[in-house]
Amino acid sequence: MHSPDFHNCSDHCGENPTVWDLPGLPQSLKREWLTAETRRHFLGRGVKALGAAGLATLLGRSAPHLLAADAPAPAAGLDLRPHFAPKAKRAIYLFMAGAPSQFETWDYKPALAPMFDKDLPESVRGGQVLTGMTASQARLPVAPSLYKFAQHGKSGTWVSELLPHTAKVVDDLCVIKSLHTEAINHEPAILSITTGNMFPGKPSLGAWLSYGLGAINDELPTFVVMTSKMPVRTNVQALSNRLWSSGFLSPEHAAVSLRSGADPVLYLNNPTGIDGEVRRAMIDGVNSLNSDLFNRVGDPEINARIAQYEMAFRMQTSVPELTDFSDEPASTWELYGPKAKEPGTYAYNCLMARRLAERGVRFSQVFLRTWDNHSQLPERIKIMCGDSDQATAALITDLKQRGMLDDTLVVWGGEFGRTVYSQGTLTPTNYGRDHHPRCFSMWMAGGGVKPGISYGETDDFSYNIVKDPVHIRDLHATIFNQFGIDHNRLSFKFQGLDQKLTGVLPSRVINEILA
Amino acid sequence: MKSWPNFLRCPAWSALCAFGALATFVRGEDSFYAQRVAPILDKNCVVCHGAKKQKGDLRLDSFAELVKGGKNGAVVKAGDPKDSELYVRVTLHPEDEDFMPADSKPPLKPAEVKVLELWIAAGADDRTPASAVKGAPALAAPKAPTPALTADWQPRRAEIAALEKTLGIRLVPRSRLGTDGLVLRTASAPGLCDDATLAKLAPVADLIVEAELARTKVTDAGLAALATFVELRTLDLTRTAVTSTGVAKLVTLKKLESLNLTATAVDEAGIAPLKSLPALKQTWLFGTKVGAAAP
Repeated sequence: MHSPDFHNCSDHCGENPTVWDLPGLPQSLKREWLTAETRRHFLGRGVKALGAAGLATLLGRSAPHLLAADAPAPAAGLDLRPHFAPKAKRAIYLFMAGAPSQFETWDYKPALAPMFDKDLPESVRGGQVLTGMTASQARLPVAPSLYKFAQHGKSGTWVSELLPHTAKVVDDLCVIKSLHTEAINHEPAILSITTGNMFPGKPSLGAWLSYGLGAINDELPTFVVMTSKMPVRTNVQALSNRLWSSGFLSPEHAAVSLRSGADPVLYLNNPTGIDGEVRRAMIDGVNSLNSDLFNRVGDPEINARIAQYEMAFRMQTSVPELTDFSDEPASTWELYGPKAKEPGTYAYNCLMARRLAERGVRFSQVFLRTWDNHSQLPERIKIMCGDSDQATAALITDLKQRGMLDDTLVVWGGEFGRTVYSQGTLTPTNYGRDHHPRCFSMWMAGGGVKPGISYGETDDFSYNIVKDPVHIRDLHATIFNQFGIDHNRLSFKFQGLDQKLTGVLPSRVINEILA
Repeated sequence: MKSWPNFLRCPAWSALCAFGALATFVRGEDSFYAQRVAPILDKNCVVCHGAKKQKGDLRLDSFAELVKGGKNGAVVKAGDPKDSELYVRVTLHPEDEDFMPADSKPPLKPAEVKVLELWIAAGADDRTPASAVKGAPALAAPKAPTPALTADWQPRRAEIAALEKTLGIRLVPRSRLGTDGLVLRTASAPGLCDDATLAKLAPVADLIVEAELARTKVTDAGLAALATFVELRTLDLTRTAVTSTGVAKLVTLKKLESLNLTATAVDEAGIAPLKSLPALKQTWLFGTKVGAAAP
């Protein structure tokens, strides 16, 4: 494997450390930031209240919803019941990191064909500032999609020829062509989608769901992340655990990231000579020391640590069964394709996402990188679609045939769109596209979302939204709504504010796309 | 609307109206006051200015009381909202000590303030018909109450918690509404849930609207017990050892809407009796001997 080719796009930097690992920032400061609120809670409540609630809440993360009448209220005091009856129990988020071009996938723009190599009209751009990557270009020549579109399904949705498998399930999808965001570069844009905020440190969507609803299955993490092998080794997006962190929420709400090798969770297996009984005794010993410490100092972070030991112990049993695909029928491999047998591929991760959903994992996020086609887009996006199309469609088909699509919400999309004009030289067979935050396409399926519809429209250049804009906050509010959560009512007090995923700017549930 | 007697339904009044003598004189239910103003006062003000409490010697629970005013005199000046205490007090800065509703109760919504303003400007009476006041914000359509799926589980909290503890299953409320029912959840330890478990859950069967039994040890014998869970809407039996014999017993589940039999040994004989179930919309049969998924 040769090393990734770094691009001038500022944050294409591979697997760099997160802000939390930045040198020069004292660990104590980071800790203080992270625990400021919980410490204040502790001081406010007093040691006794916390002590009483301590271990009782750790027996299972889904326990507090219905504690025995004689048991004390859980420490967090959080009501894990949804605000209203949910449509979705779980969600699978297929994150196309790097931002797939809407022109070659979902946003059909036939009017562009005669515009080949003509300059983008100034009236369309409206004076918008361009990124550093194309601002110095002498021209902004319009690049129509090299790939053909056709209508598919009863819904007649236009789908690119690069997505022949997804086209077959298009009647199960709700395609949204009017997403928009503020961020113009990958890291802030991906953070905006995963955490609702372009600054790191906020809880991710999955962490909020874990915090707000608890677990369905106590034996597995509530929130799981999988990063997929990269089909292209250029324009690599950094993915770090701040994208799936618990932010200021308790650490047990962060995702467990499944690795692609033989050991999906590092150090989960007992070393030679240590059996389950010894391991249990060790954890009991550590837990007892930790609870002593908790009773003395009352820091809730200690309880989070105990919970994590317990989760790791439970995962020693639950994970091997999860990752053993030998119980899959032959039809699975026909559906997902041969690559699904190779750990770490996108197809493998899609199948794993279905297995996680079956076992009650609330939120699985599959990342597929290298959609960032600044140059050689026609060739590279074909590789990207070829790598993912069959598995994506397989996941929808599979969930549907197993009766799981009704209560599993599936979301597909990147972090922003791409420009109508070519970045770099435009030829009849080659072009690139720069970042474009003003509009991009996504789709949702299942979980109570209306199937077989398209929502939102862009102009002839897919540059501006002309109908039904959907901000990321609206997407988040809608996802929460399907889980029975009012996004304005799920909050966490931190730094003196009632923090919530959708923040304080206007956001709304997109009721028009709900069944 | 409680604040005004229903004159229009009074026979004597109807007779008068029929006579035509007072045809233009609208009182009661059709007036802007009764339709739009009184509900706002009832919701926001009457708790302190009503029959129980009369802060400032003011009552706002009927038009007659309202026009009497309080200890500082009249609260409305017809035609002049800006000089009417009723309007001024609700439009002050919320931190002003004279702001109403007092004591950090939620302020009136902008649409409610607008209704008061229009009403005072139009004469602050109880005769002007609702249709005669232009520009009033549209009334939100009354939200239909969520229909109760089951009895409220909350009074039986202790009984439910005890069953959870002894059986190793969970009974999860579908929402914060007690009458939305419970979900029988087994995902943490499907191996602990068997036919005996279902039999022991019979005392709370009337509260369970959804049973997640995928991968459990439930067999046909358990389905006999499950046949008494008549509130079930959703039943998932994926990868259980149930057969057609057991599934046929589910014909008592008249409210069942969704039945998942994925990867079970059922065949046509098992699902044929279910075709009579009135509410059943979807039956999932992937990986069974039936093949195609059809209800």
